[in-house]
Amino acid sequence: MKFRITHITRYEYQLPVSLCHNLVYQVPVNHSFQQVDKVNYNIQPAPHFLATREDFFSNKFIYFSIEEFHKNLSVEIKSEVEVTEPVWINTVPKNTMPWEDVAIWLRSSGAGSDIKQFYLESPHISFIPGVKEYALESFTPGRPIMEAMLHLNSRIYNDFDFTPGFTDISTKLEDVFLYRKGVCQDFAHFSLACLRSIGLSARYVSGYIETLPPPGKPKLFGSDASHAWIALYIPGVGWVEFDATNNMLVNTLHIRTAVGRDFADVAPLKGIVYSGAGQRMYVNVDVSRV
Amino acid sequence: MIEEYLLQGRNTAKPSFDELAAPGGLVRDHWKKLAHAYDELGLDKMEQRSREISQELRDNGVTYNVYSDPDGINRPWKLDPVPMVFSQQEWEHIEKGLKQRAELLNLILADIYGERKLISEGFIPFDLVFSHKGFLRQADKVKVPGKFQLLQYSADLVRGPLGKMWVLHDRTDAPSGAGYTLENRAAMTRVFPDLIRENQVRKISSYYQTLKNTLTRLSLQNKENPRVVLLSPGTANETYFEHAYLASSLGFTLAFGQDLTVSDGYVWLKTLRGLEKVDVIVRRVDDVFCDPLEFMGDSHLGVVGLMEAVRQKKVTIINPLGCRILENPGLMAFLPRLCRRLLNEELILPSVATWWCGQEKEKRYVLDNLPFLIVRSIYRSNENRPYIGSELSKKQIEDLKKEINTRPYLYVAQEVVSFSTTPSLIGNNLEACNAIFRSYIVADMEKQEYHVMPGGLSRSFPTKGEFIISNQSGGISKDTWVLGPSPRNESVAPVNQPVLRQLKNVLPSRTGESLFWLGRYLDRAISNVRMMRIVLKIYNERDDEVHPETNQTLVILLKSLSALTGTLPGFTAIDQLKLRQPEQELLSLAVETARAGTLAQSLQSFLSNGYAVRDRLSLDTWRILDSISEEFELMKENGKDLGKIYHNLDQFIIKLMAFIGLNNDNMTRASSWRLLNIGRFLESSVNTCTLLQAALANNVAPDVEKQLMELVLMCNESLVTYRYLYRSTLQMQGVINLLLVNEDNPKSVAFLISKVDEHLAHLHNGQPDGGLSPAQKKLLEALTMIRLCDLSQLMASGNKKELSDLLGRLIVLLGEASTFIFENFFSPTQSQYSFVKSNNSLPEL
Repeated sequence: MKFRITHITRYEYQLPVSLCHNLVYQVPVNHSFQQVDKVNYNIQPAPHFLATREDFFSNKFIYFSIEEFHKNLSVEIKSEVEVTEPVWINTVPKNTMPWEDVAIWLRSSGAGSDIKQFYLESPHISFIPGVKEYALESFTPGRPIMEAMLHLNSRIYNDFDFTPGFTDISTKLEDVFLYRKGVCQDFAHFSLACLRSIGLSARYVSGYIETLPPPGKPKLFGSDASHAWIALYIPGVGWVEFDATNNMLVNTLHIRTAVGRDFADVAPLKGIVYSGAGQRMYVNVDVSRV
Repeated sequence: MIEEYLLQGRNTAKPSFDELAAPGGLVRDHWKKLAHAYDELGLDKMEQRSREISQELRDNGVTYNVYSDPDGINRPWKLDPVPMVFSQQEWEHIEKGLKQRAELLNLILADIYGERKLISEGFIPFDLVFSHKGFLRQADKVKVPGKFQLLQYSADLVRGPLGKMWVLHDRTDAPSGAGYTLENRAAMTRVFPDLIRENQVRKISSYYQTLKNTLTRLSLQNKENPRVVLLSPGTANETYFEHAYLASSLGFTLAFGQDLTVSDGYVWLKTLRGLEKVDVIVRRVDDVFCDPLEFMGDSHLGVVGLMEAVRQKKVTIINPLGCRILENPGLMAFLPRLCRRLLNEELILPSVATWWCGQEKEKRYVLDNLPFLIVRSIYRSNENRPYIGSELSKKQIEDLKKEINTRPYLYVAQEVVSFSTTPSLIGNNLEACNAIFRSYIVADMEKQEYHVMPGGLSRSFPTKGEFIISNQSGGISKDTWVLGPSPRNESVAPVNQPVLRQLKNVLPSRTGESLFWLGRYLDRAISNVRMMRIVLKIYNERDDEVHPETNQTLVILLKSLSALTGTLPGFTAIDQLKLRQPEQELLSLAVETARAGTLAQSLQSFLSNGYAVRDRLSLDTWRILDSISEEFELMKENGKDLGKIYHNLDQFIIKLMAFIGLNNDNMTRASSWRLLNIGRFLESSVNTCTLLQAALANNVAPDVEKQLMELVLMCNESLVTYRYLYRSTLQMQGVINLLLVNEDNPKSVAFLISKVDEHLAHLHNGQPDGGLSPAQKKLLEALTMIRLCDLSQLMASGNKKELSDLLGRLIVLLGEASTFIFENFFSPTQSQYSFVKSNNSLPEL
């Protein structure tokens, strides 16, 4: 499947901004099941300084600064990405390892720190009371890890309401759990908290999902902005991706831009501006088949 | 004295190691000379020396701040006259051990941010590093060129019961105290010069010289004449004194985050004359506060884009961001093995026995022995206070056990060490106190090895058994004496050192701004004090309650005071309540710190701006600032007694004038001096206009007018000049001429304005577009108005309205000039915003 993605972020400032420094995590990267053909970016006003870097998790990011007065900032990233069917589509869930064995293996010297690091707590993910118990309802003793995960995925989908505007990135996981409401990043964070609290390695994936549904199919959640889901490490298969917001095993509709411990590692656009007043932000994402 | 001390030691139930007393009640060899000298001196003289030390430190303005305490700003630094002493032989061992430990930590650091082989090979557990907040992923693979990644290092050492030195903490982020150490030594040298000489106490200056050499060599871009800045979190920081002190004694620029900016990938210092490139940053700001873009988004102490500048190798930061991972006490448990693996040596200095709970066996031991251990988080912060097992309740122990079981890798437990004791002068007695010693180590780029300061900062604690030790929780500092001759190779040869060249103007804009305000508040305080003295004098002469109808002079003075202090309506209020009973308002105008315009507020702003530019003021000037601060405290204590406050006012005048005198005497005629004076003269000119307008531009009876003229002249310190010039009775035209027009009178508005203009012209000198700046244009307009005004005509009508209008116009022009000066030289105040903003609260369920 080949997609063309356009991601536009616009900031309007009440008063002119004299200086801004930004980090952009919106550049799709090559991945086992994803080939990036083209990336173009257009930042207005033109940055004084721009550098493309690779971070600790091998994501690509752009650092740029604008050092003249401006009232608007627009960051536009266009890319063409070809997505192929991931290997886990052919994995039979009930043939995967019992989840406890995975947890034990993760603590052995057989697992490298590149995998282990994702079972620890992180800025947005902590072992809050109740989450482990919630997870254990799906992760029953001896259950194959992928089967249990699919079960957890659909429970989260059913138990939580997709409610844009209810939460933002500073909302605590405790509150997401309490109110059972949120958007894709909350669903992803909650999934991660469940998995890490029972000792499994799971990471945050940010990216996009197809915007215009094929005829006759419903439009998917998270399609008008950047999307987020998770990847669980399953020995023998690798990082397997699950989207709790849409209750699905990720196939060819998702395009990845970055992975990290949680949102904090891969926020699509981070910035510090110097200004006398506030700002408004508009995000526009379009994903269409080529 | 020593005999009693030894006796005391023999009588204590629990025998522990004492620095001075050997078992059997004998004095240890390396203490003998000193013990003898103390006996000769006797306790009374020791106490006197102790007071001399306190005086010396107070005179030098050595202070520290305590965060949690509102009165905790500028606490005097305390120094015990009895030092911590190390023999030559023991020091050789400690020095060797510290060098080895620095080498070892340096290699570990390079590996953690490099290949991480020590983790994959199992020498360091993965979660010990990855769960530590000091492991900055943004700093991964970012290297300082050369072998040293750890450039500065401090270890806190204690002596165990058997006399062995143990490392209690490793400090690798931004270790503090080297400035206090220097001040301690200076004070000790002043008070005990003979003891220092006779005992062959090693000099510590080599450390600072090495530090300076290293910093100048670390510049990646500009090798010739690198600019080094010391990045301080600001005046409220615990050790701000030391930041200012180290910066000025090492010759670096003191900067706050807001003084620096990243542009084109470089770091720049915002100075009065524009941006100056920065090559090396010595940071006293904690790692994650250094760059809000990449670390803590809400930090205002850092510089946005700093991490990117480091990545691009445009600037070097000391210590590099990420070094805090080494402060992880969990590492201590693994150091002996790491030392064998990396250096092929046994670890010379052991750490305090440490169990990292990330290991199953260790965790079980800790859980079983909690009441006898101290549990710490592997990440040191103000929120993560250590748990002292013996002080926990049953419930607390259970909670702690649960927490350790949930996140075992985040905790270590350490043995409760009983430290050695060392004699300390407490009151008038020599007592055995627990002591801890902080060492200072810096990479010597010349010799390619670590340099250990032969000395350091020791602290002693009156409460025995106290385990948690920091400046914040009290304790008295001690100088640390290493005895014996200096090794021959110690003198730091200034080989290849860049020639000392005068750097051109390096006044950060923020410092310039503080100097400007320092000047303004200085003269505001002076005019407030003078006016208040006059008012109080007249007020005290009245018989009873103030009658607005009959006490016309006093009424006008009170109203003028409200105008001058900008606290309107105050005494000008229509209800006249305050006029009839002025005492409350007068007290408020003197001591109420929170009210804008009061004397207290002016003094406080004066002091805080002075404090912010500490590094620019001479030692004697600090002393005056400190004595003004003391007088200020006295005045606040006198809060309800106008009589006593009157006395404080007299003292303020003397001290504020001394401040002016000293600065005129010893400040170089550079931008800083000019800005201070621009502030002063601008303030003074506005105040004089305000006073003339309020006190003299009224239509009143001739006798009242005469009295007012005399008082205004007194207030302006110009009465004598007037009498000398005019030799006649007071006449309005003469008074206005003297105070407004006469450019030979240094108190006249015209003189003050021309001075402001002169200083401005110097500051503008060298700026591209010649001509007058907007501020200068306003000043010229004001000056011309004064020069052109025809006083006899102005006075002829007998009506004071024209005079009042003229003065009003001048005040407006001067205000506009001030605004232009501000915009011209200082960065406009802009807030720093993060894109990610926090949420409004959630609804009730």
